[in-house]
Amino acid sequence: MSWNRILAIARKEALELRRDPVLLRVVLILPVAMLLLFGYAVNFNLKHIPTAVWDRANDRIARALLQELEKDGRFDVTFRVGDEAELRRLIDRQQARVGLVLPPGILQKVRAGEEVRLRALIDGSDPTFAFQAQVGLQKAVGRLNARLLAARMLAGESGLPPLALEPELLYNPEGSTAAFMVPGIVGIIITQIAVILTGLAIVREKETRMLESLIATPVRPGELVTGKVLPYLVIAFADTLLVLWVGHVVFDVPMRGSRALLLALVFLFVLGSLAVGIAISARSRTQIQAIFGTLVYYLPSIFLSGLFFPIEGMPRALQLVTYLIPLRYFLAAARGIMLRGVGLEALLAPFALLAAFVAAALALATLSFRKRLL
Amino acid sequence: MPRFFEGVAGLSLAVRVRTERLERRFGHLLAVAGVSFEVYEGEVFGLLGPNGAGKTTLVRMLSGVLAPTAGDASIDGVSVARRPELVKELIGYATQEASVYPFLTVRENLEFRAAMYLRGAAAGRAVADALSRFGLEEVAGRRAGVLSGGWRQRLSIAQAVVHGPRVAFLDEPTSGLDPLARRTVWELVYAEAERGMSAVVTTHYMDEAERCHRVGLIHRGRLVAVGEPRELKAAVAREYRFYALAGGDAAGWRGREGVVDAWRRGAALRIITRADAPAPPGAVREEPTMEDVFVLMTRKEEAGELE
Repeated sequence: MSWNRILAIARKEALELRRDPVLLRVVLILPVAMLLLFGYAVNFNLKHIPTAVWDRANDRIARALLQELEKDGRFDVTFRVGDEAELRRLIDRQQARVGLVLPPGILQKVRAGEEVRLRALIDGSDPTFAFQAQVGLQKAVGRLNARLLAARMLAGESGLPPLALEPELLYNPEGSTAAFMVPGIVGIIITQIAVILTGLAIVREKETRMLESLIATPVRPGELVTGKVLPYLVIAFADTLLVLWVGHVVFDVPMRGSRALLLALVFLFVLGSLAVGIAISARSRTQIQAIFGTLVYYLPSIFLSGLFFPIEGMPRALQLVTYLIPLRYFLAAARGIMLRGVGLEALLAPFALLAAFVAAALALATLSFRKRLL
Repeated sequence: MPRFFEGVAGLSLAVRVRTERLERRFGHLLAVAGVSFEVYEGEVFGLLGPNGAGKTTLVRMLSGVLAPTAGDASIDGVSVARRPELVKELIGYATQEASVYPFLTVRENLEFRAAMYLRGAAAGRAVADALSRFGLEEVAGRRAGVLSGGWRQRLSIAQAVVHGPRVAFLDEPTSGLDPLARRTVWELVYAEAERGMSAVVTTHYMDEAERCHRVGLIHRGRLVAVGEPRELKAAVAREYRFYALAGGDAAGWRGREGVVDAWRRGAALRIITRADAPAPPGAVREEPTMEDVFVLMTRKEEAGELE
């Protein structure tokens, strides 16, 4: 072991790193970005959960309960509905994530010392979310129960807590993590294959100087990009079907909605992801740069798409950033189709935003690719 | 009209490449400085110059992959500045490092390139033809990545001409090859030229210039001289004399009146004097080489720049 040589090699390596401005930026920025993403995204205190209420009681206790719900900003009572069908429809479309049914005559029942059962419909497709929502509801009900019991004790009475919560998990009654994760894993696989593999596709030709030979032929940029993308399109599709099948066979992941709609969604997402990969590749000079470029795209996709961490639990600013993450729309739509069994009419927003992303990514990919050197 | 064609009676040769004050800047660096020359039908035109002279930049502009910053060039009358995509239909380009896909076989590499220009049976015929012309049949099924440098270069040139271009640009096709492989490369280039194709071949090997119909000498982005090798040699022979002297001190000779240059060559000295200077005593007269042409002409160019 010669320290002389080791230090010489280390010095050379450091010099190379310092003179690759892209790599240097990535090395410095990536850890900080990761920390911020982790710190803020991995926040299990959900806030402002959109809640729909079918209030059949409309009395003092019902109002007190709603106040308790909104008190710490955990639930926002955004919808008041007149029947259970509407309650379920709002949850189907994810406009509300929790639906609360307040039975008639709560006040009378409490006065009579009867137990009042409060049904809560919770979107169970995301087990983390469902757990958080239940805890939040229990806390609110518990606080109100404590107040009611205190009032009774002052009046010299005693008894059991008058309000009982009956949570009901929709879509994923067993709280199966696999059911929730499989659509997410499909999204990750597509992002990985599409973005990372195509991310390397053009820059690899650039590094081996094959691109120069290629652009000296009459090939059109669109032809080159399409030709490069086609095999990956097939691979991403095959992988998607494989994961869905394994998920179904091994983990019993449901497929409640339309398969055709799911395939259309997958196609849209694959296309957009491939375009992102091409754009990154066309703008990178080396394969290393391209890999880091794809990481810069990939990591926020995982953290901010609602895949592992519910978007509702993130700070407001970060929630706004999630609108820029196409995986978010894919997940929303895929879970909608597979777990909630809803159709296109309930998923117009994610589909439209995903289509907008695809259009933007394709435009970016075409603009990034030039048939000229420099 | 270049002299090598004079034997072909009554044939008027088409200009295939015409460059007019072609220029390329990279920031402050002037890589190609207003270069003008023509290449004729069936001609093998050599671009001779040291590394960094601007040969590759020039070839890239002529192939339509790099935009000129001033001036223009045309391939069969099509402007490289305005219609680069049309130019690409007419030319073939072999980049400096032999560009072949290592995981594809020789045949697959050729098929891929042919498909950029031709379709169906025409592409198939072109590939079969190129395999036979370049003697690649025996390695057709082998992966390009395992080929030796000479074979790879052969494939690279075959790829550049598989579609039958009017002009092929071959950037340093003999770089790094052994003498036998280099000779083969030149034979293949000439065989293609006899089929009517023009070839623009860059090289930094001075002796290879002798193999070209005509050469252009490039130095620091400027075209210093253009002509047939023997014309160029005759031109320097009118102004200078070339000698070999057994033994002696090169540095001492360099300072003498009338001596342009002197350097050690093995056991002997090579001395260049002005034509009007007296011959060094005991020295044997020699013919100028292309290296002499290059050195003397670039010096003259530099002296001209200073004035």
